Amino acid sequence: MADSDIAHLVREYVRGMPSLPTTVSKVLEVCNNPKTSPIDLDRVIQLDPVLMGRVLKLINSAYYSLGSQVTSLVRAIIMLGVNTVKNLALSSAVLDRVSSKKDFRALNMEGFWRHSLCVGVTAKLIAKQRGIEVKGLEEYFAAGLLHDIGKIPLNTALADEYVRTMSLADRERISLVTAERRGLGMDHSEAGAVVAETWKLTGAIADTVRWHHDLESYSGEYGDVLRTVAVANFFANREGIGFSGNRYPDRASPETYSLLGIEKTMLEDLEVPVNAEIEKAKVFLKLGG
Amino acid sequence: MLRVTIWGDRGSMPTPGPDTALFGGNTACIEVRCGERLIIIDAGSGIRPLGEKLMREDIKKGPISADLFITHTHWDHIMGFPMFTPIYVPGTKLHLRGPVSYEDDSLEKVIGTQLSYRYWPVRQDELAAKIEYEQIKETTIDLGDGIFVTTKYLNHPILCLGYRIEYEGRSFVTVYDTEPFRNVFPTDPADPSYDEYAASEGEEAARDENEKVLRFFSGADLLIHDTQYSAKEYLKNKVGFGHSSYEHAINACHKARVKHLVMFHHDPNRTDAELQELELFYQGKVRGKTSLEIEMAREGRSFTL
Repeated sequence: MADSDIAHLVREYVRGMPSLPTTVSKVLEVCNNPKTSPIDLDRVIQLDPVLMGRVLKLINSAYYSLGSQVTSLVRAIIMLGVNTVKNLALSSAVLDRVSSKKDFRALNMEGFWRHSLCVGVTAKLIAKQRGIEVKGLEEYFAAGLLHDIGKIPLNTALADEYVRTMSLADRERISLVTAERRGLGMDHSEAGAVVAETWKLTGAIADTVRWHHDLESYSGEYGDVLRTVAVANFFANREGIGFSGNRYPDRASPETYSLLGIEKTMLEDLEVPVNAEIEKAKVFLKLGG
Repeated sequence: MLRVTIWGDRGSMPTPGPDTALFGGNTACIEVRCGERLIIIDAGSGIRPLGEKLMREDIKKGPISADLFITHTHWDHIMGFPMFTPIYVPGTKLHLRGPVSYEDDSLEKVIGTQLSYRYWPVRQDELAAKIEYEQIKETTIDLGDGIFVTTKYLNHPILCLGYRIEYEGRSFVTVYDTEPFRNVFPTDPADPSYDEYAASEGEEAARDENEKVLRFFSGADLLIHDTQYSAKEYLKNKVGFGHSSYEHAINACHKARVKHLVMFHHDPNRTDAELQELELFYQGKVRGKTSLEIEMAREGRSFTL
């Protein structure tokens, strides 16, 4: 398939891109419950990268024309009310019920979700330990949670090609992003940029999605978030928490650690709190396993 | 000249009967005249008598033409629409604007569904009037003839807009149905669902939103504000219902240098005697402490600005 066909397929797919079904039933349960607390709603949306992106997109769309960009769900819940945000999430989730586990062929959906959550949680914990103010922490979490969003269109719209790409990475012991460039002519950060553009995501989230495998080329203002997510991503892959198809991840460079002002050994201390956070999320979503 | 007349000031449900004859039992409807132009805010049951007046008086000068603004689509604010006689009269022109929460149905469908056989003997597409529906958000609309309408999202269980009408240097504002924005996230670290970020971001967001509402009605010549409850009633078990207390409205108006506050959206259980007593009580409370003038909304009361 020509590279231009691949790009076209990805764009077409992204236009109607579904949410991850793992959390859909939980979203339905939380949203259909009239006693849902704001914090439950905030959590269930945050835990699903696709849904969170879509809800933020709707909130910031011309539909509500709120004047200033709203990037936090907490603020959206206070401004628009629990009911409106519930309806936004419910509508997105219901629309997305058309998608199912069979869409996930090369990548396992649950493994992918767990990897995304691990990177989000780890990025947030690293930021917290580095003394980033509380208000800024959610940006690290969201950027980590959404960083691999570009894998969804590749995995679904180009399922056969993606299975072959992952085999290539395994066979040649190269990182998945390298295999994607070689096998597809488009890597998941480029596909992610299409998702970000379509959903009108901007700032740290969009830049992380696009540049998390290309730190050296990045010249924007969110380098700190980007580097934190890159370290968190390496940590998640090394620890084997979840699986995003990357058995041979590129290491974060020593420069990345020094720019963040952290030691590699800091990651050792993160294992316990990261696992605790993921356990909490698992209990919440009744994922089990 | 900007002239405002109240045709319905009751909240939730019409309350006819001897106990409500003085302050009125119709639900929300306000007539605003800017020179020759007619603006109507809300189509609660009060729009029925307004329609009758238009048919008696205005129709003599020619077909009725009006801009109708709906604050939100809860039933007490739209229930009078099927009984608004001008919609059955050929030549009537209505520009109906309002917000719709996130759902697939349009404003036309949400309001027009009342005009379907299961609820009403006349269907929407049988109406003689020319009605243009427009879904609106936070915006400023130039109505022409020097009239500007600015809108602001309020805090109610569905999307609800406040309206600020400016004409010939005068301003009239509606701020209902609403309650103060508040942090809905737990702030006590001992609470099992406490989240540090949500707690602090929630505080800041609520403060920002309340300030925006204050700015929205700042310096208004006349303000009609939701006051369904007393502060005691509100705090007892009405938080989150989307309605304000007298105390909140009075304090906010004083702070925003509003000149005249009309307390509106009376609770359906509130009798004339109780409203009279409350009016005297709050007037007494503020006397000598503020230049703000306050009164309870009364059906039929007009204000010339």
